[in-house]
Amino acid sequence: MGGAHEIGAHKLAHWAGLTFNIDTLYMTWISMAIVIVFVFVATRGLKMVPGKWQNFMELVVSYLLDQIDSNMGSKGRKMAPLLISLFLFLLVANWLGLIPGFSSPTSDLNTTLGLALLVIALVHVLSIVNKGPVAYIKHYFQPYFPFVVINLIEEIAKPVTLSFRLMGNIFAGEVLIIILGILVPMWIPIPNVIWLAFSVFVGVVQAFIFTMLSMSYLSNSMNDSH
Amino acid sequence: MVDLNATLIAQIINFLILVVILTWVGYKPLMKALADRQAHIAESLETAEREKVVAEELKLEYQQQLAQARSQAQAIVEKATKLAEQTKDEILQEARAEHARLLKVAADEISRERERALAQMRSEVVSLSIAAAGKVIGNNLDAAANAGLVTDFINRLDDQKLGDLKC
Repeated sequence: MGGAHEIGAHKLAHWAGLTFNIDTLYMTWISMAIVIVFVFVATRGLKMVPGKWQNFMELVVSYLLDQIDSNMGSKGRKMAPLLISLFLFLLVANWLGLIPGFSSPTSDLNTTLGLALLVIALVHVLSIVNKGPVAYIKHYFQPYFPFVVINLIEEIAKPVTLSFRLMGNIFAGEVLIIILGILVPMWIPIPNVIWLAFSVFVGVVQAFIFTMLSMSYLSNSMNDSH
Repeated sequence: MVDLNATLIAQIINFLILVVILTWVGYKPLMKALADRQAHIAESLETAEREKVVAEELKLEYQQQLAQARSQAQAIVEKATKLAEQTKDEILQEARAEHARLLKVAADEISRERERALAQMRSEVVSLSIAAAGKVIGNNLDAAANAGLVTDFINRLDDQKLGDLKC
């Protein structure tokens, strides 16, 4: 990494007339592989008395299930695999960028906006299914007709804030890691270490926020009472 | 930096694939394990409760049996004591009767012996007296007269009592 490194630039790949950020895709696949391997290892030979991997896995899943149950009610269990996968993937993806030579897939807006749009699309589909098309359309004009503008902005703001918050945090973290590497000589590692530790924390918090907000959006679409 | 392209679609597909794989690999087995454990714990608690009740019953039963055994033992001891008492009385009675019988036999024997001795002595005394009197007098009366004399003499002695012996 030198001064010539252009922060945030991606290697491009072209396939079937489409352009892909191939480095983001590689990092995504690595993250996916790590999550799958971890989950695979943690859930093989499940026992009555859990081992440490199984215990950790159960801790995470039970905590998220508790959150889902309390936020989304009984219907929320259907969304549990999606939300748990989301959390685990984001956690690993956020931390991946902390390893030298790797970058977080979540520092690319394509990833975060993709996930946010997926969640929001699901929210709208579930709203229509659960409330019926008429009630769904009507809810944009609540409490009075002119509020349609505000409601639309709110709906558009949801995926935008969701995606930019995560991307901004992780991207800024990576940028600062690079900049600290340039500014501070390698034999004074303390600022780097402190920032890396903080980034670990940020990675957990951002994954958690993204998951919890998705959960609350989804719960709004599932509950009949608004 | 914020250039959107087809990566967005690819990421959505990637994530959906991840969700499917994780659900299949992790979520379902884990949920099953959690449910199994919950069932196992519930069952264990239930079994423990059941066994506790059984143990309580057994304890009660044992206590009853113990009390029963104790009272039986008490009864046996009492019976044995009574029997021993009875046997003792019987033996004593028997011994007393035997003792009395032996005493009576001995007394009879003694009196019979004395009777015989007395009779013998009497006849000896008579013949001795006659012999002595014959020698003293020098002439013999006839035997019948002699015997009459002596017997008369001895009978008169009876009145004055000779020692303890009763003639």
